[in-house]
This record gives sequence, C-alpha cells and structure tokens, in this order.
Amino acid sequence: MTISQNAALQGQASPPSLGPAWLDAPCPVLVADRSGVVRGLNARAAALFPRARSGAGLEGAVPGWLTDAHPRDGGGGAQAVRGTHGGRTLSAHPTPGQDGDVVWWLLDDTERAGAEAALREERRRTAFLSNASTALLASLNVDRCLEVAARMAASHLADAAVVVAAPTGRRGHAVTHGLPSGEVTSTVVDLSPADVPGLDEALRGFPPVPSRWIDPSALPAWAVPDGLPGPVGSVVVTPLPGHGVPAGALILLRRTDHAAFDEGEEILARLFAARAGAAVSAARLYAEQAGITATLMRELLPPRLRRVNGVEFAGGYRPSRVTERVGGDFYDVHPGAGDEQESLAVLGDVCGKGLDAAVLTGKIRSTLHALLPLAADHGQVLKLLNGALLTSHHARFATLVLASVARAGSRVRLRLTSAGHPAPLIVRDAGPVEAAETGGTLVGALPEVGATTATVELAPGETCLLYTDGISEARGGPLGNTEFGEERLRAALAGCAGMPAEAVVERVQMLASEWVGDGRHDDMALLAITAPGAPASAAISGRAPGRRTA
Amino acid sequence: MHSLPDHTFSLATSTDSAGDVSISITGDLDYDTSDELLATAERQLERRPAPRHLRLDCARLAGCDSAGLSILLMIRRRADVTGTRLHLDNRPAALERVLGITGTLAHFTDAPAPDQPAPEQPAPGQP
Repeated sequence: MTISQNAALQGQASPPSLGPAWLDAPCPVLVADRSGVVRGLNARAAALFPRARSGAGLEGAVPGWLTDAHPRDGGGGAQAVRGTHGGRTLSAHPTPGQDGDVVWWLLDDTERAGAEAALREERRRTAFLSNASTALLASLNVDRCLEVAARMAASHLADAAVVVAAPTGRRGHAVTHGLPSGEVTSTVVDLSPADVPGLDEALRGFPPVPSRWIDPSALPAWAVPDGLPGPVGSVVVTPLPGHGVPAGALILLRRTDHAAFDEGEEILARLFAARAGAAVSAARLYAEQAGITATLMRELLPPRLRRVNGVEFAGGYRPSRVTERVGGDFYDVHPGAGDEQESLAVLGDVCGKGLDAAVLTGKIRSTLHALLPLAADHGQVLKLLNGALLTSHHARFATLVLASVARAGSRVRLRLTSAGHPAPLIVRDAGPVEAAETGGTLVGALPEVGATTATVELAPGETCLLYTDGISEARGGPLGNTEFGEERLRAALAGCAGMPAEAVVERVQMLASEWVGDGRHDDMALLAITAPGAPASAAISGRAPGRRTA
Repeated sequence: MHSLPDHTFSLATSTDSAGDVSISITGDLDYDTSDELLATAERQLERRPAPRHLRLDCARLAGCDSAGLSILLMIRRRADVTGTRLHLDNRPAALERVLGITGTLAHFTDAPAPDQPAPEQPAPGQP
C-alpha cells in the first residue's frame, strides 16, 4: 500500500470494504471494534504486539495510550495519537472500517521524534548562546563581564559555575562563583592552577580535557561555591579564549544526584566559553586603553597659566573632538629663576592625531624641558630638539614657537623664534596688529633646521599671541566652509590692546568657536603673553583697560 | 587661478618614454588620504631602474594639511634613497603657503639649505 492509497481510504465517506490488501500493508495494522475487541491484525502488528489476539480485548495487548485513544460506544471519532512502545516512538492513525470498526495504522516515528527533540534542543542552545552574547557584550567592564558569564553558565549549563580570570600581573586570580539562583560572588584567590586537573591547560588556552578525566573529589575548596547543595559529581573545565591570549577558564560543576555532563553539553559549554572569553577580552582591552588615555591625559593636558615674574600668561586649548582630550597642540611656560631671568614659553602643533600625536607631544615637551639651560640660543635648542625627534621610519614633525620672555622695566622683552609655525601676532596699543618677523623650518623631519629669531618689546597693555593653525584654518562662517583666516584673526585682535592676557585668549576662542559652529575643527591652542599695566593711550584718553572687552 | 577646488581625492599616475613618473593629485591631501599617495609613490620608486624624476602634479591639489606635508617629506626621503629627483609641480597658493610657513619650500625645490629663511619668507598673511 502506498501513501496515496492510504489517503484515498481516509477520504472515503462510507466505511470501506478493506479486503485482504491491508494484511500486506508495509506498516503494522490493527482493527478493533467499538467495544474494544481486536477484530484483526496483520503480521507486522502481531510482531509489534505479541500479546494481541483476534477476538481478545485491547487492554494489556497494546500500550495504554492506544487503548485510551480507541473510541468506545458513543465515544466520538478517533484521533491520531503518538506514544512509545518497546523503546520506539509510534504514531497511530485511525481510519473507519466496517460497522464502526476502527483500523489503526501504526507508523514508527522514532527517528522523527529524535530529530524533533534534537531540533528543539538545538534551538534552545542557539537562543541561549544568542542571549549570552547580548548579555556579555552589554558591558565593557571586566568585572561585570565575569559576573554575567558566571551567572549565565550557572543557570543554563550546570549547578554551579566558577570563572577563573587570567592573571593580570597582580598576585592571584579573580575567581567568580555563580549559582543558578543568580547569586554571584567574586574573590581574588592566590591559587595554583595545577590544583584543578585541566585548569592550567585551560588558562594557557589549550583545548579542554574530557570531563570524565576530572575527579570531582580532588577539587580545592576555592573551586566549589559555598551555596552548592550536595557534593560535586562531575566537572567540566574549558578555556575562555581571548584575543591572542586566553581570558581565563570556566569550571562547570554538577551535583552527584544530577546526570554527568554529556558530550553535547561539553560542546555547548565550549561555545559559551568562546563568547564569554571574547567579551572579557574586549572589556580588558578597553580597560587598558582607557587607562592609557587617562594616564596620558594627566601628563599631556596643557597647564594652567598665571602671572610669572611680572608678565601675564594665559593659555587656551580646545581639542578637535570632545572625546579625544589629548591632541596634537600643546603649550608650556617654564618660569625663569627671577624677575630678570627669561621665562621660556612654547606653543606648538605636532602633525597627526590621537595617540601618535600625543606621544610625540610628550616627547617634545620633555626634551624642551631638558634643554631649558640652553634657552638663550633658540637656534641651538631647535637643532638639538630636531636631532632628538628625527627617526627613519616616519616623517611626523612638529611646528612650534619659542618665546623667551623677561621684564625690562615697565616693558616686556621677547625673543621669538618660529620653527615652521605661523608667526606670533603682536597686538600694539597703537597701529595695526603685526606679525613677528621670525621664520624657520619645522622640527623632526629634516636633517638640518634653521630659524631666525625676532626681538620684540611690548609696552604695558600690549600682547603677543601665539596660536596654532587650528585657529586660522578653522572652517565655518556664514557659508560653512570658509577659513577663519589670519586677516579675521588680526581684525579680532585689533581691538584687544589693553585687555588682560586671559581676556584676549577668551575673545579669540569665542570668535573661532562661533565661526566653526557645530562643524568639525582641528585642535585649537592659544597662548597670550601680555605686559601688565594700562596702555599709554588709556593714560591720555582716560580709557580704562579692558573697556573694549566685547 | 585654477578652477574650483575638487575635494574628492584621486591620484593619476603616468610614465613617459624616458621612465620619468608623474603623479597627478586631485583633492585634499590630509590625514585620511596621504597614506594612499605615499603607497603610490613608493610603488613607483621601487621600480628598477628607479625613475630619475618623480613629478607630483599639484595643479588640482585642493589643500594640504600637516599630515599631507609629512607624507611629502617622507616621499622626498624615499626619493633621495633611490636617487630620484622629486618635483612639486604647479603648486597652488595654499600649498605654497604651507611650505613657506614650515620652512620646507627650499627643501622641496632643491634650493640651498634654508639657513637664511627670513628674506624669502614674508611673515604669513602679509602680501
């Protein structure tokens, strides 16, 4: 009999005359009447139900689930059912026979049931792994990642989970215990990985040893969470693979009264561990980078400036992006020993962005600090600095301005040297804003450098402004892409004579920020050096210093 | 003056019958694009025999920031190694200004070492 004939039989409205064909059906067939008495069965059915006899009742001869499904007098129509018999899964499909008989066609569903169960299990695992990834990647905090890993492993994979983090240089390993209740405890244990079989290997990233090799009774006390009821029956130790180096190891524990880990569970544990390891590792990398950035920021952020030896200094710095507080612009003021001694101010711009630029900036600032005793000769300082920065593998350079500053009576005398940097602007009390007549080569890229030094004197109220091209090249304005430009900068400064250094810096910063608006901009750094006192013009006209502050 | 600057970066390389190479730069030479120019120039300098002249045609160069200048300096260094003479042709005003302020113009044009930069270097922004 084929499936189509079977379907045709089921579709017939009146009870069919079966004839002898069903006796040869390729599946067990059993006919019973409405009082539950077997009316006939084929050889396959007889082999399946050895106790079934024609003329005898179904009870005891066939499984209870089939007896229950058989319709009795007034019991309504028969429905297909499924059940187990002799270790197999059977489905029984009823068709109407003569005089209210029911013909049961029995199909072996064992493999299909197995496949369905496997599919359900696989779906459950996939959902678990997907949830695990989501939960693990939700945080870039290492401790939080370890906690999530321990909690998820305990509630889905075992009766308890222990996450052993790879050592981070300090003594001991961070050990996180997780229980199915969701309870997580973290401790630092000065443990010996050799105490747990397979742990040493797992912490070094080797493939896990089979669970059956591990003797649960040999576990050290730190490896068994306090809240675990009952002794440990089976153990899985699997590595948490990281990026390049292992992130740690995962120990799964199951009680003696629960089934030991099977191969599928060990594989699932490994898949989970791969995700947990990646998350812990990413969090650790992030933490390291955040630490480096914090350290650099502490070292590289521009100093707060103040009045030094009777000269006003003010600085302003706006990094290119709010998130990267360390940039390529820098300034420093190294105070001279006394009023007559020159202070050295420096403002510069290193090429590039981010960490590379920050490292180069640090190098330049330290080198210049060390070269302070030679500051009387700017050319020599630049030559030595250039030599210190030159490397063969890149041409990252810096441009900077050196300004040696000292009081000379009521005036301030400056020696200004530009090394490939926009020349400082001098804000005079009377007359236009001037650019200092200094020029030279950038440092760090060419074998030879040269520069000319300009000597400038500031009368009281006059300012010398050092700036980086982030100011002059800031793009914005009414059309959105116009350079702020040096002309606009000079025009802005023209009204600044008599203003204190800090006010000059604030005014230029404000104008440049307004110009840029919300647009992208490079680092912007400013350093104003001002001779204190009322400008001469104020004394004549009676104007007070700072009156023109916008 | 050249036409409106084109900010889409592209490079066009050509070689003449004498083996001299010309790379035409279009757009902004900056942090994001300069590595591409270095790679292109290095490929040309690695040819054997090395080209006697490497011309960077800057006619359509829209802008050059410090990262761009750094790469130009790097190409010059590489060219020195292979004995190739580097030329920056058709320099627009913006590039001229950057080279002027940073004191590198003489380095690129093979003029004597810039030990007296003041006379030929007017203070920036002045006519």
